[in-house]
Amino acid sequence: MSAKYQNAVKQPGMLSPRVKRLRDYYFEGTNRKWNNEYNCYTTGEKWDIQFNEVSYYIVPETFNFFDTFTRSVAEAAETIELPKDFYEMSISERVAEFNRRAICQYMPTEILEGDLLCGARFNMLSSMCLTEKEQKQRDKLVREARKSALYLHYHGYGNSGSTSGHLIPDYAAIVKDGFKARYEMAEKVYEALSPEDKKGDRGADLRAMMTACQIPRELAAKYAALCRSEAENQTDAERKEELLQMATNLDRVPWEGAQDFWQAVQSLWITHMLIMADENYPGPGVSFGRLDQYMLPYYEKSIEQGMTHDFMKEILGCFWFHCNTAYDAQIRVGGNQGITAGFGQLFNISGVGKNGEDMTNDLTYLLLEVIDDMSPILEPKPNVRLHRGTPEKLLDVVVDMVSKSQGAPFLLNFDERSMAGMLRQGRISGVEKYINLENVHDYASVGCLENTMVGNDRSGTVDNNLNLLKAMELVYGNGKDFLPFKDEMTGKFSKITQEGPKTGELSSFDSFEKFYLAFEKQLAYIVERFVNHYELTEKIRATYNPTPYLSILVNGCIEKGMDVTKGGPELNYTTVEGVTFATTVDSLLAVKYLVYDEKICTLEELVDALKANWKGYEKLQNMALYKAPKYGRDDDEADEMARRVMELFGELVWKHETGCTGRRYRPGMLSWNYWIGSGFILKASANGREEGQFLSNAICPSNGADIMGPTANVNSVGKALGGKSENQGDYLDYVNYLPNGASHTMTFNTSMISDADHKGKFKSFLRGYIENGGTALQINILDPDVLRDAQANPADYRHLLVRVTGYNAYFTSIGRELQDEIIARESHRGI
Amino acid sequence: MKVLNIQRMSTEDGPGLRTTLFVKGCPLKCKWCHNPESIACESSIEWFFVRCMGCNTCFESCPTGALKQGQDGILWSEEKCTRCFKCEEVCPTGAIEVKGIDMSVDELFSELIKDKAFFGEDGGITLSGGEICIQYKEAAQLLEMLGTEEIHRALDTCGLCQWEHLNTLLPHTDLVLYDLKLYDLQEHIEWTGADNKLILENFEKLCHLREQGAKFELWVRTPIIPDATDSTENIKALAEVVRNRVDRWELCAFNNLCVDKYERLGSQWEFLDKPLMRESEMEFLLKIAESTGAKNVLYTGRTRMEE
Repeated sequence: MSAKYQNAVKQPGMLSPRVKRLRDYYFEGTNRKWNNEYNCYTTGEKWDIQFNEVSYYIVPETFNFFDTFTRSVAEAAETIELPKDFYEMSISERVAEFNRRAICQYMPTEILEGDLLCGARFNMLSSMCLTEKEQKQRDKLVREARKSALYLHYHGYGNSGSTSGHLIPDYAAIVKDGFKARYEMAEKVYEALSPEDKKGDRGADLRAMMTACQIPRELAAKYAALCRSEAENQTDAERKEELLQMATNLDRVPWEGAQDFWQAVQSLWITHMLIMADENYPGPGVSFGRLDQYMLPYYEKSIEQGMTHDFMKEILGCFWFHCNTAYDAQIRVGGNQGITAGFGQLFNISGVGKNGEDMTNDLTYLLLEVIDDMSPILEPKPNVRLHRGTPEKLLDVVVDMVSKSQGAPFLLNFDERSMAGMLRQGRISGVEKYINLENVHDYASVGCLENTMVGNDRSGTVDNNLNLLKAMELVYGNGKDFLPFKDEMTGKFSKITQEGPKTGELSSFDSFEKFYLAFEKQLAYIVERFVNHYELTEKIRATYNPTPYLSILVNGCIEKGMDVTKGGPELNYTTVEGVTFATTVDSLLAVKYLVYDEKICTLEELVDALKANWKGYEKLQNMALYKAPKYGRDDDEADEMARRVMELFGELVWKHETGCTGRRYRPGMLSWNYWIGSGFILKASANGREEGQFLSNAICPSNGADIMGPTANVNSVGKALGGKSENQGDYLDYVNYLPNGASHTMTFNTSMISDADHKGKFKSFLRGYIENGGTALQINILDPDVLRDAQANPADYRHLLVRVTGYNAYFTSIGRELQDEIIARESHRGI
Repeated sequence: MKVLNIQRMSTEDGPGLRTTLFVKGCPLKCKWCHNPESIACESSIEWFFVRCMGCNTCFESCPTGALKQGQDGILWSEEKCTRCFKCEEVCPTGAIEVKGIDMSVDELFSELIKDKAFFGEDGGITLSGGEICIQYKEAAQLLEMLGTEEIHRALDTCGLCQWEHLNTLLPHTDLVLYDLKLYDLQEHIEWTGADNKLILENFEKLCHLREQGAKFELWVRTPIIPDATDSTENIKALAEVVRNRVDRWELCAFNNLCVDKYERLGSQWEFLDKPLMRESEMEFLLKIAESTGAKNVLYTGRTRMEE
């Protein structure tokens, strides 16, 4: 961004010198003396590796680096001294013991200048702790899984692999009772096992968990000692006092329950960062849940004891800093301070209580102040829960904060629609015991926006990312790719083989319903293909990569004596995120319109046009783009197609369960960055899109399709999720096919929200969204660069409403000179 | 009804978030009109250069030769056109647009209430022009139907209509947005093509009804157009009319957003080169407007960028 527009970028708020120093220090990036780069540890065996590529099958950008990463990490790794009987133990116990030693004895411990929280280093790549034989077996499985993952990606199916994180541990329980209570629970379950079970997997996993319980205790003791020794050398009396108090805090937490706000945040931080260490993955969507609810008692206690809001904000500022150091993992490789990257340490604030009452409290507002002061910054990711009873005061703050930044510094989550999805999940998969009207209000979001229950739910929310559009390609090719794909490694085009079922020659589809039936069959095949592929990766993780520390924190694991990776949690799911939703719906609508309703061309001609990437078929392409109906315009017929595809997708997904861990598949719609990347893999589509153009993002209408404006867009999204039904709602009258929820992004012009009058109108918009919209909304406020992009690519911005001179106009429909003027004004005005 | 456009999430046509219905046909021909395509009652064709791919399908398929390729694009002959709109149907890109489509009251009703959830307590539906009173029978029906949904209804009128017509709509109206443009009769004729006697009379009747206890709110809107309506005398005279009898008075600063529209209609806009109003000028006029006791006077719209 040129200097000219810098005043248009949100600046951090008033930070205390301590927090400002830490925040500035973080943004110094590679110039920092200290960082949280990976520490790598090995057993010293020649076959030992650390890097787990299976975790990255959903990150295609890394595919080409797997072998390099694996080798370079192994070479850089420091050898850890192990007990003699190490390999006699189970893999779980080995991992627990190895990580205990690595974290508590080898990983450096430091306290940063002015920091109020201990626990600096946590990015770690640690040994798989396998014997040579085990490692060979694992390598063999990995080779097969990798081949399958690459095929899925490079042939446009999508990405899938059993990965880490993406859940909300029971942090509330640790903050309240500490690890001690968890240890005692594990001990009790262990003691109750039969001698045979003690020798078996359950005994082994419980012993591993008990070992892992010691990690936070030992690390806290180490940091407490460090605080005391630094206090001794400290000349500044105030800092000395702080260090001593930090030591006192660590004497207690996280082994025992916290007694005040400072201890609670310290307990939360150490507990959280050790998951990232245990999983060998920074910020993998391990989320905090309803922070303003379970931290409230400690907030109130400290307020009572005289702690000021300012000091609380300093503690939280330190917490914010540490969350961001997750990005240090590959600081020298990426050099990117997470400006574009996205880890998802998410937390929720506000939302409903058990009886539908609003739960906004003083801590909610304090956290909002911290968010405002710290942003722009990436972690942790706030998500504000709105509902029918959201107080005006909270909405005022939300709208105010939105108006001040280009992208809202938080996501909005919508309770009624979200809870409808969770309740549906409970019903469909028969777990009403764990998800019901009594407790569904305590749902929270992980990663980006994925809804789950809290403390007992592993839903693998980014594990499968399936391109719905691929099913249409297979219909065009009668179960084969209708065009060859280029092999990225060799540069050659792959041979076309029969992959999906033979659903018929194009000429055989004499009605749209016949075409749709073929689409259904191909989509069913793709889901099955994902399930088979995922099983390969799930088996590797479940057999060879336990996470005993995380298992302590997810309810069900101790009770069952089963690691989280093996199916220990009470709620055990893996999510299929549907990608390219609107592109697929619009393509189906285009086929229906062009071929069957208006008979403008035959299906063969349309597929020929796609094969030619629309070259020579421009008129047909324009009709597909501008004449065919589209999802996103509040057009009931088009939106019914969206609903139909959504329902189908859900039905196909719910049918499956993993074989080795019994995780039920559930549907969601989050596209992360796939809608951009896969746009270069998937061929031209019937909605008029050319190969290489972006696909649609999550549940959003296709770029430029929502020409009826924001409210119509919202109504369409709600209808795609199932809309409302007076008698058959999942929660109240809300229906929601996607328990995971769906990502929805909308862009507005600054002037839509620039003065008190318009802020009030924007609040009405949000209230309408609560009624009619989806589960989660990201609001972007336009900056001049976006406007310029809109000028250059008007087709992508046909939806862009600007309030220009006393009324709203579509930016791309007004003349160039006026556009220039608006851009100049937006730049001039600042945001 | 002959509909020009339905604008959803409108923030500028009354309180709250609104859906605004714009209809065809207006008795005035204001020289500054921002929606020139709304003046004629009959449907018309517009050609959008930026969308056109140059495939010629439109004029090739016109049965009466009403469309032809001119030097600067597609030309439309109002006389030859039979309004079959085949051209719009066959245009692959949407470059040909019909201005003025027929919609039944039932169709309109279901379209207009789609955003009910967004209206909240103060938002709702605005019926706007052209001039809505020309189609008063359908408008009354529509407003009545909207009333059963308890939706806030606003009426945006230029005031040049038979009182009986306007009066039919008032029982179903929660807010009247009333245009007062120029006080001087001659100037009114010069700039809008019609005199303002009826407009001022109707305004008096509206105020009278309110004095009698009628419940509807009344907002006056005055476009501030350079060298036409922006004189001190004009605003002062209008202030004498308005006094303290309305709930809000908006001075709508001139904008130049409609240049393209005139180009599409093959004409040049008289105000093409006029700059936007200065903030100081608007502030000044605001003071004058307030001088006779009018409350809630404000100006809307952008003012000139000044360093």
